[in-house]
Amino acid sequence: MKKETEAKVVTFTSEAEMPMMPASVASTLYNKTGSWRYMRPLYANQTPPCNAACPAGEDIVMYLQLTAQGRYAEAWQTIVRENPFPGVCGRVCPHPCESECNREHLGGAIAIHCQERFLADYAAAHELDLPAVDAPPREERVAVVGAGPAGLSCAYHLRRMGYQVTVFEAKEQPGGMMRLIPEYRLPRKVLEREIGAIVALGVEMKTGVRLGVDLSWEDLQDYAAVFLAVGQSISRELGVPGEDAAGVLHGIEFLAQVKRGQKVGLGQKVAVIGGGNTAMDAARTARRLGAEVTILYRRSRAEMPAIDEEVNETLDEGVKIEFLCAPVAVLTENGRVRGLRLTRMELGAPDASGRRRPVPVAGSEYELEFDTVIPALGQVADLSFLRAEVQTERGRIITDERTATACPPVFAGGDAVTAFGTVTAAVGSGKRAALAIDCFLRGIERPFPDLAHNVQAAPRRRDPTVVRFENLNTAYFEEEPRPQERQLPAAERVTSFAEVNQGYGEEVALNEARRCFSCGTCNECDNCLIFCPDVAVLRGDSDDEPFVFNYDYCKGCGICVSECPRHAIVFEEEVKFTKT
Amino acid sequence: MREPKTYARNYEIPEEELTYSGSVSCPGCGATLSMRYALKALGSNTIVVIPACCWSIIAGPFPYSSLTVPIFHTAFETAGAVSSGISAALDVLGKKDTTVLAWAGDGGTFDIGLQALSGAVERNEDFIYVCYDNEAYMNTGIQRSSATPWMAWTTTTPVRHPKEEPKKDIVAIMAAHRIPYAATATVAYPDDMIAKFRKAKSIRGAKFIHILSPCPPGWKSEASDSIKLTRLAVQSKVFPLYEIEHGEKVTINVWPKDGGVPVSEYLRLQGRFRHLSEDAIAAIQAEVDRNWERLLKKAEMSMP
Amino acid sequence: MKKVVTGNYAVSWGARLARAQVIAAYPITPQTSIIEKLASFCADGEMDARFIKVESEHSAMAACIGASAAGARAFTATSGQGLLLMHEVVHWAAGARLPIVMGVVNRAIAPGWSIWTEQGDTLSQRDTGWLQFYCETNQEVLDTTIQAFKIAESVFLPAMVVLDAFVLSHTSEPVDIPDQADVDAFLPPYRPQLKLDPADPRAFGALVLPSEYMEMRYKMQKAMERALVVAEEVDREWGEHFGRRWGLVEPYRLDDAEIALVTSGTVTGTSREVVDALREEGVKIGLLKVRLFRPFPHQIIRETLAGVRKVAVIDRNISFGDSGVFAQEVRAALYRADARPPVFDFVAGLGGRDIVPETIREIVDYTLAHDAPTEEFTWIGVKT
Repeated sequence: MKKETEAKVVTFTSEAEMPMMPASVASTLYNKTGSWRYMRPLYANQTPPCNAACPAGEDIVMYLQLTAQGRYAEAWQTIVRENPFPGVCGRVCPHPCESECNREHLGGAIAIHCQERFLADYAAAHELDLPAVDAPPREERVAVVGAGPAGLSCAYHLRRMGYQVTVFEAKEQPGGMMRLIPEYRLPRKVLEREIGAIVALGVEMKTGVRLGVDLSWEDLQDYAAVFLAVGQSISRELGVPGEDAAGVLHGIEFLAQVKRGQKVGLGQKVAVIGGGNTAMDAARTARRLGAEVTILYRRSRAEMPAIDEEVNETLDEGVKIEFLCAPVAVLTENGRVRGLRLTRMELGAPDASGRRRPVPVAGSEYELEFDTVIPALGQVADLSFLRAEVQTERGRIITDERTATACPPVFAGGDAVTAFGTVTAAVGSGKRAALAIDCFLRGIERPFPDLAHNVQAAPRRRDPTVVRFENLNTAYFEEEPRPQERQLPAAERVTSFAEVNQGYGEEVALNEARRCFSCGTCNECDNCLIFCPDVAVLRGDSDDEPFVFNYDYCKGCGICVSECPRHAIVFEEEVKFTKT
Repeated sequence: MREPKTYARNYEIPEEELTYSGSVSCPGCGATLSMRYALKALGSNTIVVIPACCWSIIAGPFPYSSLTVPIFHTAFETAGAVSSGISAALDVLGKKDTTVLAWAGDGGTFDIGLQALSGAVERNEDFIYVCYDNEAYMNTGIQRSSATPWMAWTTTTPVRHPKEEPKKDIVAIMAAHRIPYAATATVAYPDDMIAKFRKAKSIRGAKFIHILSPCPPGWKSEASDSIKLTRLAVQSKVFPLYEIEHGEKVTINVWPKDGGVPVSEYLRLQGRFRHLSEDAIAAIQAEVDRNWERLLKKAEMSMP
Repeated sequence: MKKVVTGNYAVSWGARLARAQVIAAYPITPQTSIIEKLASFCADGEMDARFIKVESEHSAMAACIGASAAGARAFTATSGQGLLLMHEVVHWAAGARLPIVMGVVNRAIAPGWSIWTEQGDTLSQRDTGWLQFYCETNQEVLDTTIQAFKIAESVFLPAMVVLDAFVLSHTSEPVDIPDQADVDAFLPPYRPQLKLDPADPRAFGALVLPSEYMEMRYKMQKAMERALVVAEEVDREWGEHFGRRWGLVEPYRLDDAEIALVTSGTVTGTSREVVDALREEGVKIGLLKVRLFRPFPHQIIRETLAGVRKVAVIDRNISFGDSGVFAQEVRAALYRADARPPVFDFVAGLGGRDIVPETIREIVDYTLAHDAPTEEFTWIGVKT
C-alpha cells in the first residue's frame, strides 16, 4: 500500500473483493474528522504592544524577526516602509514601544531603539538605498511646507505613492528640529544620509523659502494639496523681569548656534531652565563647552518630560539638577546676567497633563549666581502666515483625525498641530497626512487606518487586539537579560561632542532580536505543527501564510492555540454552532 | 515549496509524517501525538504491534489504517510475545534493520500484559516496547488500572471510594530486568521523546519507553490543555523524564525549571482530581517529593 | 534413515525437516521432550531457527503468531492445560490466517491433576479454525507434522498434530526419518500472500464492522472446505515422495463389515488387533480411523459407513451433558445418509486409563448385543 495523499472510501460489494484476513487497503484520510469540530483555530496575527505604541506605526516585531534571521537589509526596509528616519529615531526616540514591551517581565524590555539604530547603521555602512518608487507616477503636485520630520515623512510617503512633491523650508537646510539635536546624540551624517535619501527619491527641496514671505498662498494654488508642517519655532518666554539681558539665550537658539559651529561665550556658570529634552540637550552641550551647569526644574524628577535615560546621562556628566524651583527674576548687572532669583515650589493638585501642578512656596525665594541663563521651556508655533480659513486654537492648527484643516486642500501635521515634540510622532503625523492626501486626491473614502496599529500604505493583516503578557505561553520563554548598549564613559563624554551611545554590534543585535517574544506574530516556531495530534497543520507556501489548517481533519482540540507561545492563533466558535 | 524559517524553532522534529489524519482519536489525544513523534523518530522501516487499547481503534477500522507502516493488531496481553515473534522472524529472515515497536496502553502493560512483557524483556528481545499510559482503561470508558494514580477518580473508583493504592512503578519493574534501556517521555517534550526513540532504535535488545499520555475524556481535562498538563507533570515532578540503562545508570533528562511547581498546579486542571482534599494534595506532594529524592539519589549514584 | 524414536521426538524431527524458522514453546508434561529436542537441534546448529523460550503457552502461540505474520514458518507444541491457556490466541492464529503448526500431546484436564492422555484439550479447540490431525503411530506423527505445514500454508489456516500422551509421546518406535533434500522437494519455503512488510504497509486484524465480519468468517470456512481437498492431495504427493499414505480417514477391513468401530489416536492400533481377532472368530467387523478431525470429512465418513449395520464410536473424551465428541460428529455426518446405521458411543480411557483389547471387546460385545443404543452413550470401565 503506497502512502496516500487523498481520501479514498473503500466499499466492498462481494467477499471476493476482500482480503482473506482484515488487512488494510486504504488510509484513514477517508474519515473527515473536521466535522467533529465546534471550535476552529485561525491563524490571525494580533498586534504586539510595541507596534501599538510606536507613534510612527513601525512594524517592530516584523523587523526584529527579520533581524533574528540575519536579514538585516529586509529588516531595515521594513522600517523605512513606515519611517524614513530609523537612524534618527533609533537614537533620539523616547521609545514608548519599550515601555509596553512584554519582555519587561522576563529580563527586561527588548532594546528596540538599539535594534532600529543597528539596522540604520547597517544600511548606512552598506550604503543601502531606499526602495525605488515603484508606484505609477501621478500627475498631482503636492506642496509640503516645512522640512522637519513631519514634512519630510509626508513628502517621502507621497513620493512613494507616485506624487510630485515639493518641500518648502524656511531655513537654509532641511531637517527642522532634528537639526538642533546635539552631535553627541545625533551625528550630522546620520541625519543627512536619511534626508538625502528622501531627496534622492525625487522630492523637490526648496530651502530658504518662508511661506508668507518668500512664498504666497497664491503660489500654492498650483498644487493639488498642501501639507503644513511648520513645527514650533518660537521659544517660550520665561516671563520674568530681566529676561532681555545679555547672557539669556534660548535653548533652541543655543543649540542651533553650537550646531552651526558658532562660538558661544557661556562663562563659567550656566543655568538651564526646564525639564524636557531640549533642557537636557542644552545642559549637556554647555557642559561640553566647559561650563558648570545647573538645571532648574519646577517639579520633581518623576514629572520630568525628558527621557529617563537622558536625565541619567545628564547627571552622569556632572550636571546638577535643582528640582522644585522656578525663576522669578533674572538678576542683571550692566545689562548682563549675573544670576537668578528663584522660588521654591511644591506640588499641588494634578493639572490637565495629569502631573501635579507646581505652586510657589511663599517666602522661599533665594538667589543663585550664573553667567548664562538658558531657558528651555518649549516652543510655540509661528502661525502668523496662516490664512484665516485655516482654523487654529491655542497656537495650534485644528485638523480632523485625517489631518485635514477646515480649508480642504490644506492639511497640517507635526508639532504645529499636535505638539508631541518627538521626531517619531512627527513622522507618524506626516505619514498619516500622506495617506489622507492620497485618499483626498483619489476621491476615495476608506476607513482611515488607525495610527497606532497600521499606517503603512499597504495595510498589514493584523487583528488590532494588543497582546499582553498574560496572553503569552511563557513556558517557551526563559528569563534573559536585556543587553547593555555601549556608551562612552561620562568623563570622556564631556570633553567632546563624540556620540555618547554607540549601539551594539551584530552579535548582540541578533541575540536581542531572538529574545523578542514576537507577540501576536507568527515566527514559524512550528509549535502548532509539532503539537497537532491529527496532522492537521500543514506548511504553507508563503511568508504571509507559513502554516495552514487542514480543516478537513482538524478536530478543534485547541492545542495549537494553547501552545502558540505568542498568541498568534485565535480560537473561534464554528459558524454552524453560532446562533443567528 | 518554500523553505521554512528555522530560527524560532523550539524543537527540531523530522518533517516526514508517518501517521495519517482522520483517525478517530479524541480531540487532544496524547497517545495519537505520541505515535506521531515515535514514527517520526523511527522512520518507515518499522512494524507496529498494537494489543487491545485505544490505539486498536485509533489505527482505523478495516479496511483502513492511520499509519504508513505495517500494524499487527493483537490480543490484549500479547504485545510482548507477538513482538518477540516478529523480531525473531525478522532476524531469521535477515531483516535486522526493521524496528519492531510494541505499542500498548497501561492496561495492556501494567496489568494484563505484564507477564508477556516481563518474559520478553527478560529474554532481552530486540524491540521497543512503548506503554502510552493514560492511567486507566480509557477505551472501555475510564476504569481503574494499576497505573491509575492514588486517589484518582475512575468509573470503578468513584469519588466516594477513589483509588487507595499508589500507581505501580513500571519503569522500576523494567529496570529490575536489567534491560539495556528504559526511559520515560511525554508529549510536552517532543525533542526528548524523539531523542529517546532514536536512542532506543540504536540499541539491540529490549527497550522500554513509558509515555505519560494525556486523555481529556478520562482525565476530565480540556483538550487544549494536553500539552500544558504533561509539561506540568514534568515540572511538578509527578512524571520526571529520565532514563535507566542496564537497570543501573539513571540519567534525569529534563530538570524542572526553577525547582519545579507544586503538584496542585497539575492536579487542579483535571476533573479526576477535583474531589481531592487539601490533605490529600499534601500527601501527593509528599509522595512526589519522596520519589523525586529517590530518583535524584539514583542519578547521583550513576555519576562517574 | 530409520531411527527408533518416541512420538515426541517424531514431532521434533517433523518440525526440523519442515525447516521451521521460529519456534516458541513452553514446557509441559508430556510435551517437554519435543521442545527439548528442538532446543538441542537449534543449539547444535542442526536447525536454522530462532527458539523463543517464552514464559507461557499463551505467549508461545502469540510469538508464533507474530513470527508467522512476519513471514516465518512457525512451530510450537503443547499439551493439556497449556493448550487451554493458549485458547484465545489459538483463535487469533486462525482468524489472522496464519499457517502455524502445533504439536499437541493429548492430556487430561485438571482438576485433579492428570498428565495422562485424553482428547478433551484438543477437542475444546474444535471451533477455533485450526486443522486437527489425530495420529496413531510415531511415523504418522512425523509425516503428518511435515504434511501439516504444506496443507496449512496452502489454505492459510493453522494445524494441530495430535498424539496421545505417553502411549505415543513417550513410546519409542522405529521411524523412517526422510532425507532433508526429499522433504525440501516436497515442502517449498513458506510464501505468505500478505505479511508484515514495511515495503507494503498494511494494518492486520483491525476492528471489523458487521458489514464485513461475516465475509471474513465465510472465507475461513471456505478455506476449511478447501483443506479437505488439499489434505487429500498433499497426502497423495507424500505417497509419491515417500511411499506412504495416511488418508484423511483410514478404513480397515470394512469392505464387508456389518459392524464398524470408529477410532482415533492410539486406540486405533489396539482396535486393529481386536478386529483381526474377531474376524478370526467370524465376526464381520472393521474399523474406521478418523485422522483428520477438522475439517471433518463428513462425506467420506458418510460414504464409508453407509453400508454397515452398526457403528461403534470409541471416544476418549466427553462433552459434559452430551456424549463423546467423535460420536456427535459421526452421527451428524450420517444424518444425511440414505441408510443411517445406529451409532453406539462408548466413552472410555479418560484420564489415561488404559484401553486394552478387553476394553474394545466389551464395546464390541455390547454393540453386538443391542440392535440400537439404549442411551446417548455408554461408559466403559467405570467402577459402579
